Amino acid sequence: MRKAIVALLIACTSVAGSAQLWSRQFPPTALPPLKFSLPQPSLRVLANGLKVVTLDRPQLPMVTLELAIMTGSSGDPRGLPGLAQFVASMLVEGARKQSAMQIASAIDDAGGLLDTEADWDDSYAEIEIPSASTETALRLLAGITMHPTFPADQVELMRRDTLSALEVLRQDPNYLADEVFEEATLGGTPYGHPADGVADSIRRISRSDLERFYARYYRPSNAVLLVVGDMRPERVFSWARRNFGSWKEKNHLPPSPAAAPPSLPKRQVVAVDDPHAAQSVIRIGNRVVGRSDPDYLVLSVANQILGGPAENLLFSALRSRRGLAYGASSVLDCHQEAGVWEAKTSTRPDHTVEAIQLTLDQMSQLRGRAVKRWDLQTTENYLSGHMPLRFVTNDQIANRLLDLFVYSLPLDYWSEFPEKMRSLRVSQVRAAARRYLNPRDTVIVVVGNIQSFEDSLKRFGPSRIIPVEDVDLTSETLARGTPAARGH
Amino acid sequence: MVQDRTAPLVEVQVWYHVGSKDERPGMYGFAHLFEHLMFDGTRNLARGEFSNFIVRSGGEDNAYTTTDATVFWESIPANQLPVALWLEADRMRDLRITPGAFEKERDVVEEERRRRFENQPYGDILAPLYAHAFTVSPYRHMPIGSETDLDRASLEDVRRFHAEYYSPSNATVVIAGDFDEGQAAAWVRQDFGGLEPSPSPIPRDYPVEPEQTAERRVKLKQSVALPAFVEGYHIPADGTPDAYPLELAAEILSDGNSSWLEHDLVYQKQMALLVQCSADLSELPNLFVITAIANPGYTLEDLEAETHAILARLKEGNLGPVALGRAKNEALRDYLMSRQSPHGEAETLGYDTVILKDPALYNTETDRLLRVTPAEIAGVARKYLTAANRTLVEVYPGGQTILTQTRTKPGPGKGIN
Repeated sequence: MRKAIVALLIACTSVAGSAQLWSRQFPPTALPPLKFSLPQPSLRVLANGLKVVTLDRPQLPMVTLELAIMTGSSGDPRGLPGLAQFVASMLVEGARKQSAMQIASAIDDAGGLLDTEADWDDSYAEIEIPSASTETALRLLAGITMHPTFPADQVELMRRDTLSALEVLRQDPNYLADEVFEEATLGGTPYGHPADGVADSIRRISRSDLERFYARYYRPSNAVLLVVGDMRPERVFSWARRNFGSWKEKNHLPPSPAAAPPSLPKRQVVAVDDPHAAQSVIRIGNRVVGRSDPDYLVLSVANQILGGPAENLLFSALRSRRGLAYGASSVLDCHQEAGVWEAKTSTRPDHTVEAIQLTLDQMSQLRGRAVKRWDLQTTENYLSGHMPLRFVTNDQIANRLLDLFVYSLPLDYWSEFPEKMRSLRVSQVRAAARRYLNPRDTVIVVVGNIQSFEDSLKRFGPSRIIPVEDVDLTSETLARGTPAARGH
Repeated sequence: MVQDRTAPLVEVQVWYHVGSKDERPGMYGFAHLFEHLMFDGTRNLARGEFSNFIVRSGGEDNAYTTTDATVFWESIPANQLPVALWLEADRMRDLRITPGAFEKERDVVEEERRRRFENQPYGDILAPLYAHAFTVSPYRHMPIGSETDLDRASLEDVRRFHAEYYSPSNATVVIAGDFDEGQAAAWVRQDFGGLEPSPSPIPRDYPVEPEQTAERRVKLKQSVALPAFVEGYHIPADGTPDAYPLELAAEILSDGNSSWLEHDLVYQKQMALLVQCSADLSELPNLFVITAIANPGYTLEDLEAETHAILARLKEGNLGPVALGRAKNEALRDYLMSRQSPHGEAETLGYDTVILKDPALYNTETDRLLRVTPAEIAGVARKYLTAANRTLVEVYPGGQTILTQTRTKPGPGKGIN
C-alpha cells in the first residue's frame, strides 16, 4: 500500500499542478505528556551549618560532587570586577596539604574532571569521577575549598593567563556584544560589571584581596555540598561529616544592605564599530526581575514563545521567512536580584537594520494580540514534556538542585513547576510582555562594521558609536577616556 | 537499538552515510546545505512542522554534518517514539525542495559560516591546516564548504545529491533509551519498510593520500590577539590497531592539568595560554592535531620547540608509572559519560555501526583501549609524530594575508550543525 502511494507521489512531482491528487498524511497522534516524577534527594545539615544534599543513582558507576558557595561575581567589591572568578580559579592552585600539581594528579589519576568557577550568584568546585573514587574526591574537594593557600607564584600565573584570555576575548564580537549589553541593561545592579574582570582590575587584585573575599564568603553556613550519582546517601553523609565537619563557622555573614533597585535604563543604541567584522552581532532587550520573583514563571513561558526552540517568533521572522541569520533566539537570564530578557542574532552588515527592525517587531507582536491560546498550550506542553530531558545526567541534576539553594526556591519547586505553568492565561503572557519588553527602556547593542549603516541606526533611538579599541566595560559610558569606574 | 530505562526518554537518530568527503570538486558544502534542506518540509508537512511535532511533546531535534556522515536526531519523551520514526521516514521518502527554500537556506548557511568561522577568534585556523596537510584526500575541505560552490549550486544539483545519498540503503536508524524492542522494530518496518533503495551503489572510491615526506609550513596573519600554531600529523583511520594507542597518547599529552603538555607549557614554563591535542580519528586517515596559543613574551618558535621536546619524550617509551593508567582511567570516564543519556548512547552506537561498520564495538571498544601497552604508545609516537609527517600552520596577529607557505589550496573537518 505504502509502496503504491510512493509511486504515485513520484509521478505527481513530475506533473505540474497535480499536487491536489495527494492527500496529506500526518504522524501518529502524539500522546499526552508522560507523568515524570522527579528524583527525591536527601538533605542533612551538619553542625557547622553546611547543607548536604545527595541523590543515589545506581545506574552508572559515576558520581558528581559539587561544593557551592552562595556568593559569586555579584559579590565583587567596587572597583575589583573579576575577584570572585579569580578566587574560584585559585582553588585548584594549592591547598594546605597539596600543591597545584598534586591536586591535578590526584584528579587525573582517578580519571576525574575538576572544574572551579564563579557564576553571578554562586561559586563552585565540581568533580565528575568514577564512583569507586568518591571518597578520595570528597577529601580532595574538602581540601581545596576549606584550605586554599593562594600561593604567590600561582597567583601571578593566574593573573597572566587571565590577562591573555581577556585579550583573546576582546577579539570575540559575541563576547563584546554580551558584555556591553549586560553593562547597559544592568548598570547599577550587582550585575552591572564584567564578571571576568578587565585588564586593569586583574592587574590590581592582590593576594590579600583574594584572602579577604575567601574569608568573607567561603564558610559552611554559606555553602551547599551536592553529591549525585552511584553512591549510598548514608556513606555520603558520613564522609561529608568526616571531611567537612571540622570546617569552622565564624561570625555570621552580615546581611548585605538592600540597595534600592536602580532606575531602568533609557531606550538607547550602543554600536561598537569593528571595521573588520564579517557580521553584525545584535543584542536587543530589557532589564527584568530576579529569578525568585513570582513573574519569572510567566516570563519564562513568554520567552519560549518569543525565541525558544523551533518555530518561535524570532526564528520564523529572521531565519525561516527571510534567511537573514543562522540563529535567532531569545534568552531569559535571571540572577537573584535582577535579570535580562534579550534577543540574540547575527547577520551580514547590509542586513543589520532589517534584522533589528524585525526583532523589535516580534517583541511588539508578543505585547499585542498575536499570541493565541494555542501558542501558550504548545509552549506549556514543551516545557512540561521537556522536564525529563533537563534531569538526565548527574551534572544536570546537581545543578537543578543547586538552583533551589542559590535562588531560595522551595524544595518542591520542580515538582510543582508543570502544574503552576498550566494555570497561566494568554492575557498574563501579553501583560508580562507589555510590562517587561517596554520599548521605552529597550537597549539595542550592535557589534560590527557600523560605518556602512551608521545613519540608519538613528531611527532606533539615541545612539552612541564606540570604536572597538575604545570599549571600556567598567566605564559608565562604556568608552575609554571617561572616568567613573563602576563595580558593585 | 540499545535499551536504557533510566529515564522515560528515547532517542531516534538517522545516520546518512554521506559527509563532506563525498562531495566532488565544485560541490563543496553540499552535504551540509542538504542537512539544512531536510527541515524544509515534505509532501505532507510544511516547513517547520517537523520540529514543531517534536517540540510540542517536549523533545529536541537537530542535525549535524561531519566529514563522514550526516546525522539527524530527536531526543523525545518515551511515548513519542512512533511520531519521530514517522517523521524521519516521511522526509526520507519525499522531501520537497522548492527554489525559494533552497535560496533562503543557502543564505542561512552563509551566515552560519560567518558566525562560526569568520567572526570568531581562531575560527579560521583549521581550514588551512587541512588544506595543506592533504593533497588529494577529500578531507582537504571542511564540511562548511566553499561560498563559491554554494553560490553556483543549482536546484538540480541538489536534487541529484538527494537521490544519490538520501536513500534507505545509505541510512541507518538508531534507537536508544526506554522502549520495547519488538514494538520499535515493528514501527520501523511499517514506516521505512516500503521505501525504495538507491538504484545504484554509492561511490566510495576516495583518493588515497600519498605519504608525506617533508614538513609543510604556512604562516598567516589573522585578526587574533595572540600568536598561535596548529599542527597536524597524518594518522590511520579509526578502528585500525594504531588508533587506540594514538587516542591514549592524546590523553597523556593534554587531558587534565597534570597531562604532559599542559603541565610543561602552561604550568612550569608558562609559555602557553592554552594547549590542546586530539587524535582526530575518522573513516579515512586523518590527523593528530596539536593547537597552542602563546603567552605574551614567547615566540611560536619557543612553543613549537618545547612541544616537540615533549613529543620526543613520548617516543622514548619511558612513560613512568602513572601516565598510562591515568590515560586509561580518563578514557574509561569518557566512555561512562557518553552513556549517561540516550543521546550519547545512540551517537556511539551510530558511529560504531556506520563509520566503524561493527555495532558490536559498542560493547567491546573500551576493552581494546584498556589493553594498550606502553610499547604501543611509543611505537605510534615514533611512527607518526615525526617532522616529515607534520604540517604546521602559524597564525600571527594583524590582518588577513598569507605571509608564506610551502604549498596552497582550498580547505577544513569537524561536525557542524
